Amino acid sequence: MSNPAPIRREPSLPDRLDRWDRRSGAHGMRQAAGCLLVGMMALTLPGRAEADDGLVFFRQRVEPLLQAHCFECHSHASGKMKGGLALDSQSGWREGGEHGPAVIPGNPKDSRLIRAVQRRDPETAMPPKSALSPEDVGVLEAWVQRGAIDPRILPKPAVDPSTSWWALQPLRSKPVPEAGRKHPIDAWLALAGVAQPEPLRGIEGRTILLRRLMIDLHGLIPTPDEVTSFVRAEGAEDEVVAQEVDRLLASPRYGERWARHWLDVVHFAETHGHDQDRPRDNAWPYRDYVIQAFNADKPYARFVQEQVAADALFPDEPGLTPALGFLAAGPWDESSLRDIREDVLDREIGRYLDRDDIVANVMSTFTSVTAHCARCHDHKFDPIPTSDYYALQAVFAGTEKAERWYDLDATDHARRQAWMRLQVALDRRDIDALEAGMTEALKAEQTAWERSVPTRSTAWTVVRPGAWYSEVPVTFAGLGGDQPALPAIEGAQGEKGLKLQDDGSLLAFGAGPATNVYVVAIKAPSPGIAGIRLEVIPDPTLPAKGPGRAENGNFHLTGFEVYARAPGAGGYQPVGLVRPSADFNQDGWDIGKAFDGNPYTGWGIHPEEGKPHVAMFELEAAGSLREGEDVRIVIRQEHGRGHTIGRFRLGFTTEAPPFRVSPIPEAIARALALGPSQRSREERFAVSSQFLNGRIARELAALPEPKKVYAGASLFPANGGQKPLGKPRDVHVLRRGEVLKPLEVAEPGALRCVPGLEARFGKLPTEESRRAALARWLSHPDNPLVWRSMVNRVWHYHFGRGLVETPNDFGRMGSEPAHPELLDWLAVTFRDDLGGSLKRLHRLILTSAAWRQRAAEPASAGHERPLRRRLDAESFRDSVLRITGKLDLTQGGPSVRQFAMSPGIHVTPNVNYAAYDLDSEGASRRSIYRFLFRTLPDPMMDALDSPTGNQSQPIRSESFTALQAFALLNHPFVVGQSQRFAERVETLESTASGQVRRAVELALLRTPQGDEAAEYERHAERYGLVSLCRLLLNSNEFHFID
Amino acid sequence: MNSISSTDLTRRSFLWRFGGGLGGVALARMLATEGGLTAAALAGTDPAGTGPHFRPRVRRVIQLFMNGGASQMDTFDYKPELDRRHGQKFDPGDGSRVEAATSEPGKVMKSPFPFRQHGQSGRWVSSVFPHLAQRVDDLAFLMSIESRTNVHGPASFLMNTGSLLPGFPSMGAWVSYALGNEADNLPTFVVLPDARGLPYNQRGNFSAGFLPAKHAATIIDAGAAEPIPYLRPPTSAVFVTEPAQADGLELLRRMNQRHRALSPEDTRLEARIQSYELAARMQLAAPETFQLSSETEATRRLYGLDEKVTEDFGRRCLTARRLIERGVRFVQVWSGAGGPSNNWDNHTDIITELPKIATSTDKPIAGLLEDLKARGLLEDTLVVWSTEFGRMPFTQGATGRDHNGGTSIGWMAGAGVKAGVIQGESDPWGWKSLDRTTTYDVHATILHLLGLDHQRLTFRNNGADRRLTDVHGHVIRGILS
Repeated sequence: MSNPAPIRREPSLPDRLDRWDRRSGAHGMRQAAGCLLVGMMALTLPGRAEADDGLVFFRQRVEPLLQAHCFECHSHASGKMKGGLALDSQSGWREGGEHGPAVIPGNPKDSRLIRAVQRRDPETAMPPKSALSPEDVGVLEAWVQRGAIDPRILPKPAVDPSTSWWALQPLRSKPVPEAGRKHPIDAWLALAGVAQPEPLRGIEGRTILLRRLMIDLHGLIPTPDEVTSFVRAEGAEDEVVAQEVDRLLASPRYGERWARHWLDVVHFAETHGHDQDRPRDNAWPYRDYVIQAFNADKPYARFVQEQVAADALFPDEPGLTPALGFLAAGPWDESSLRDIREDVLDREIGRYLDRDDIVANVMSTFTSVTAHCARCHDHKFDPIPTSDYYALQAVFAGTEKAERWYDLDATDHARRQAWMRLQVALDRRDIDALEAGMTEALKAEQTAWERSVPTRSTAWTVVRPGAWYSEVPVTFAGLGGDQPALPAIEGAQGEKGLKLQDDGSLLAFGAGPATNVYVVAIKAPSPGIAGIRLEVIPDPTLPAKGPGRAENGNFHLTGFEVYARAPGAGGYQPVGLVRPSADFNQDGWDIGKAFDGNPYTGWGIHPEEGKPHVAMFELEAAGSLREGEDVRIVIRQEHGRGHTIGRFRLGFTTEAPPFRVSPIPEAIARALALGPSQRSREERFAVSSQFLNGRIARELAALPEPKKVYAGASLFPANGGQKPLGKPRDVHVLRRGEVLKPLEVAEPGALRCVPGLEARFGKLPTEESRRAALARWLSHPDNPLVWRSMVNRVWHYHFGRGLVETPNDFGRMGSEPAHPELLDWLAVTFRDDLGGSLKRLHRLILTSAAWRQRAAEPASAGHERPLRRRLDAESFRDSVLRITGKLDLTQGGPSVRQFAMSPGIHVTPNVNYAAYDLDSEGASRRSIYRFLFRTLPDPMMDALDSPTGNQSQPIRSESFTALQAFALLNHPFVVGQSQRFAERVETLESTASGQVRRAVELALLRTPQGDEAAEYERHAERYGLVSLCRLLLNSNEFHFID
Repeated sequence: MNSISSTDLTRRSFLWRFGGGLGGVALARMLATEGGLTAAALAGTDPAGTGPHFRPRVRRVIQLFMNGGASQMDTFDYKPELDRRHGQKFDPGDGSRVEAATSEPGKVMKSPFPFRQHGQSGRWVSSVFPHLAQRVDDLAFLMSIESRTNVHGPASFLMNTGSLLPGFPSMGAWVSYALGNEADNLPTFVVLPDARGLPYNQRGNFSAGFLPAKHAATIIDAGAAEPIPYLRPPTSAVFVTEPAQADGLELLRRMNQRHRALSPEDTRLEARIQSYELAARMQLAAPETFQLSSETEATRRLYGLDEKVTEDFGRRCLTARRLIERGVRFVQVWSGAGGPSNNWDNHTDIITELPKIATSTDKPIAGLLEDLKARGLLEDTLVVWSTEFGRMPFTQGATGRDHNGGTSIGWMAGAGVKAGVIQGESDPWGWKSLDRTTTYDVHATILHLLGLDHQRLTFRNNGADRRLTDVHGHVIRGILS
C-alpha cells in the first residue's frame, strides 16, 4: 500500500543523461556489442576462416533482423522475454524459452525460431502481427543452416558496476562548502542552488515546529504546556531548537516512535500470515530489542550485525538473541512448512519461498537493493545475476523461522545450545554431528557406561492400585511445587474411565478425552525401593490394539510424578526421579521428554504399537520410599488428540540401577562387544544413542527456564512437522526459479556488483557462520549501499520524502538521489564522524534551516523542504490518548491483544476488535505495544494505512477513504476517547466557553479564533461537548502535520 | 440527513468554481471516481482509474469462489478411465512421482456420483449440480486450470492475487485501481464471505496489497444487522443523535474548509473532506442495498432463500446482484470458510461432504444466472466460478481426496464469453492439466474482458513493476465470443 511516489527522470540534463545511459542495461548492451563488433571486424581479414564470414553475415544480415522484428518482445533491452525467450544473445536462443531451444544450429527444419517465422502454426507464428518477407526468412534459414554463428555474449551486468550505477559508487568524502558559515546541510543545498530556507520562528512558528518535532521524534503531539515552555524558551534560535531535540532524543518515547518505522521496513507482525495465521506468542522481544537499540543509540553497524548474526558475532552476549527476530519478522507458511508431508515438492517450494522472504528482508532493509527480483532470471535492471540471488539464499540455507530458546547467562546458553545440537543429531540419526557435538568428558562418560552395562534384566514386583482417578483436572498442574498436598483429588473424581484388571493393570474404557491425567494411589510394598516401572500393555479393546488410545495405538506420556506421605503425616512430598529409560523410544519422543516440563512433548512408541513396552525410573535417593507409605503416582498425557494410555500397570524394584527390561537389544550388545574402533557408523550411532537416551532431556530440564523469541534459528524445539536440521540444506540455483529445475549447488555469498568487497564466502559449514559472513559484508565501512540506505531512510521520515524517493530501491527502477553530494556527505558523516549514531544524525538534520522551514505540499515542494504529512495511524491513536490524559506509558513486554479472541474454525482464531473493552489493562498503551495480526488487522489502524506486515513498507501511504472516515467517526476507540476527552475538559474548566477553548487548545494547540468560539459553543451546547471533541479528533487540522 | 445531499450540491458548485485552478483532468477524476481519493490521484500522479486500454465487453464481475478445492472429477470433469481403474494403484505410466500433500496416495477412486450429458452443448455434469446442469449452455468451461502449489494458503493467494506469497493486491483491487468506481455511494470491490467464517488467508485474499488502500475490498457480513463495519456509531455512543451527526458533519466541513483555505494548493485537504462526504452518501445508500425484503417472493425462491440449505449462499448471490446493479464493479461471493470442513476441502469422504456443500450453492448459482439473464444484466456482467485447486484421482483414507494443484475446473458466463464451449483438457485421470491453462491465464482473460491488457496494468512497488499476472498469462481466446 505504498504511495506511488512520483519517479523523477531528468534525461534532459546532459550529465544526467550520460550517467543514466551508462547504467542503463539497454545502452550498455549496445555499447558492449558494438565493442565486440569492432573487435571482430578488425580480425575479419579476407581469406580468414569461414567462421569470420559467418560473423559478418550475422552482424550485417541476421542481427538487424532480430533487432527490428524480435527485440521488442524478446530482449533485455525491452525488459520483455515473452515465453521466457531472449534473442539478444547466443545463450538466449540456445537455452530458449518455455518450449526449449529456439534454434538448433544446422537444423532449420526443427528450429522453433524458423518454424515461427515460416508461420507454420498460427498459434506460434512470429512476429505475431506482420510476417517477415520471404527474403528475410531466407536469411534466417541460411544462418541456422550454416551453424547459427552468433558472437553475442550477454554482458554480465556486473562487469564494472562501480562506474555505472550511482548507488554502487564508493562513498567519497568531500569538504562541506563554505565550512563553518552555514549548517552543513544548508550549505550543500545552497551549493545546489537552493535558496536559503527561512526557519519557522515566533509564537506560531515555534508551535508548528514543536508539533512537528514531537511527531517526528515521539509520534505524539505536544501538550499546551510543552508548547508554552518551548515558545517562551530564551536564547539563540538554533540553540533553543537543538536543546529541544536533545530533550526529545533522551526520552524513551523516541525509541518507541522509531522502532515503529523500523518495523514497517522489516515487515514485522505477530502471526504467521497465510491460511494458518497462528499467533506468535514470543515475537515481541524483537520489538523490544529494536526500541532499546534506538533508545541506547546503538551504532548502526552494530545494529545491522546483531539483527543478522548476533549469535555468531557476539556469542558471549546471548541476551542479544532477540535481535535475530529480524530474520523471522515476515510471514511463515505453516501449512507448507510444517503440516503437509515432509517429502513432497510443496515443502521444498515452501522452503525456497521462505528463504526468499528472508533474503528480500535483509537486502531491502539494509542495502535498498531489490535482490529478490533475480529469483527467476538475472535482474532485469540492476547488475544482480541469479547466481548472486541464490548465493544469498545459501546464506540462509539453514535458517528457519522458529521459537528460539536462549539464556541471559552465557554459560547456560552455551550448554543449552550444545545439548540441543546433540538432540538434533540424535533425532536426525546423524552420527557425524553426534560425535562432533559430544565433549571429551561426555565421551569418557560413555566409555564408563559401556563397561557398566548389565546383561541381565531387573526383577520387578507388580503392585495393585488401591484407588485411581482419571481426567484429573488441569488445575492440578500446580502440584509438586509449593503444593505437596493432593487435596484436589481426594475422593472427588472416583474411578471414572479406568477398570482394574486381574493382572493388576488398569484399562481405559469409554470415550477417550483429548488429554488425560491419571493418578494412582498405592502403598509402598517393601523397604529399599530403588525404582518404579510403568508398563503399557496392548488390549484388543484399544484402537490398533493399543497400548495407547490414539488412532494408531500410540500415546504420549508427557509427565510422570511420584508423591509420598508417611502414614499419619499431613501432606504428600514429591519423590525425586532420575535417569528415566524405556525399552523403546519413538523418534523424537524419547522417555526423557516426559521430564522436560513441556506438556506437548513426551514419550511415544510409534511405530512399535500393538506391543507391550516399559518405562523405568530410578529413585533419586534409593530407600526414600518407606514401606507402607501412601504413594500417589501422577501419569500425565497432555499432548492432545487422544494420545492417552489405554492400559498400564505399575511395579517396583529393590535392585540397584541401572535397570534392564531384558538383556540390552541384541544389536547394541553386539556393537558393545566389538570395541569402539571396530564398530560401523550405524553401530556407533546405536551405542551413543543408547547412552544419551533420556540424558539430553534431563540436562535441558536442569537448566533454568529459557527465554524465548520467535527468530531465525537452526536449533529449536521441534514444532510438529517442522524439525530442526541443525545445518544448512543444499540450496540450488534454480532455472527460472523452478524447484524442478535445479542447477548447481549455490555457495553462500552476497552481491558481486559491490566493489571492493568479497562476494563469495567460501564453503562455510554452519548456518550461523554464513550469516556472520553476510553481516560483516553488510556492515563493512566500504559497503556504500548500507550507509546511503540508512541516512536516506532518516531523511525520508523527517522530510516526508527521501533524497532518494524509493527508500527500498536504489536500483534503476528506483529514483535517483535529488542531491547526490548531500546524500554522500551525510552517509560518510554518519559512518565516520557520527560513529553510526542515529541520535546525532537526527540532531544534524533537525537543526538545519531546511528542516525548520514551513512544510509544503508534495506536488510542488523540492526534496529540501519538509512535506505536510497526514498523521500516521499510531501517532493519531497515541496523540488522542495523550489529549485525553489516558496514555499509559508502560514499556515493553508481551503485546497487548486489543481484541477479543476465541477459537476459530481451524488454526486461525476469531478476533473481534469491536468487542474489546477500552478500559481493560493495557488498552491505553502506546500503539507500538499492540499485538499485530497479519490477516486480521485492526480495522481502524488498517483504514489509517498502518501496515499489515506482509511486505516491507518503507513509505506509509496516505489514503483518504470512506471506510477511514467511518472508522474515525464511529470506531469505539474514537467514540470512547471523545467521551474521555470531554470528561477531562469538564474537570479542567467549569464554564462552557472555557471548556470549548480548552478542548481546542488540547487538540489543536491554539485558541479558537474569530467566529469559531461561538460556533463551537453552539454545537457543544446543543449536542454536548463530547460531540465537539469527536469532531476535533476528526478535523483536518488535527490530522495534518505542518 | 437531508442536509447532507443539499450541502453536497454546495460542495460540488464550490468545486466547479475552484476547478479552474485545479486542472480539468484532476477535477474530472475527482468527481468521477469518488472511491476514496488519494492525494496522488488528485495530484495527477496516481495512474488509477485511467480507464480501460481498449473497449471492454464487461463492466462488472461477480466471482463465485469455491473455497477448499472443488473436486473436478466429481462435478464437471467426467473421467470414465477412473471407472475402469477403480481400486487399482494409481500409475500415470510415465514414471513420474505420485505424491499428495497431506497423505499417502491411495487407490484410484471413480466418482461416486453418476454423470449425465446436459443441454445443447452436451456437457457432462454429475448429480451434485442438478440445477446448474440446466444452465450449461450459458457457461464456458475451463476444463483444466493448473495451479503452482497443492497447499491452500499459497493456492488461494495465487487464485486471488496472482502470487504465492502474501501481500499482493487481489484481482478486485487491481480492477478498482484500473477502472475506478462506478457507484458514487458504494465501494468498488465488495467481498461476501461465507457466514461461517472467512476463507483461508482470511482478509489476506482481498487486500489491496501495495496498491493504495482505497482499492481494498469492503467485506460485508450479509447476514448481520450492520453489514459494513463502523457504518454507524456504536450503540454506546448515545450522544451521536441523528441531528448531532448531521450538524456535526456540517460543522466538520466548515472547520476543514477554513483550514483548507490556509493551504489552497494542497489537494489532499480536499480529498480528505470528500472522503467524509462519500461516507455520508454510503451511509444512506448501504442499508437499502442490503435490504432484500423488497425482492419478490419469486426472486427469493429463485435464489433458494426459502430453504435452509441454500439460504446463506442464496442471500449473498442475490446481494451480489443488487450490488452490481448499483454500480459495484467487482463482487466476490465465497462458498465455504477456511479450515477442514464445511467447505470444498473434502479430505475425508467425498460421498457425504461434496453433495452437502455443492447443494448449498447449486440452486443459488443457477438462480443468479437466470436472474441476471432475465434482467439483461448478463449483457455486461461476467460471472466467474472458480476454486483454488482440484483434487486427486486417488483416495485419501477410504473415500476422501487430497489436494491437486495439477488441474482444476472453472467456468465463466456472461458478456464476451462464448456460451456452451469448453477449453482445455486434463489427462484421463484428472491428475494433471494437458493444455496447462494457468491461473494467470484466467486473470488475463478476466482483465481482457474488462478492457484491460494484463501486461500494461502495472504498479511499481519496491523496485518492480508488478502485475496481477506476474510475468505470465495469456488471454484464453477460445472462450471469448
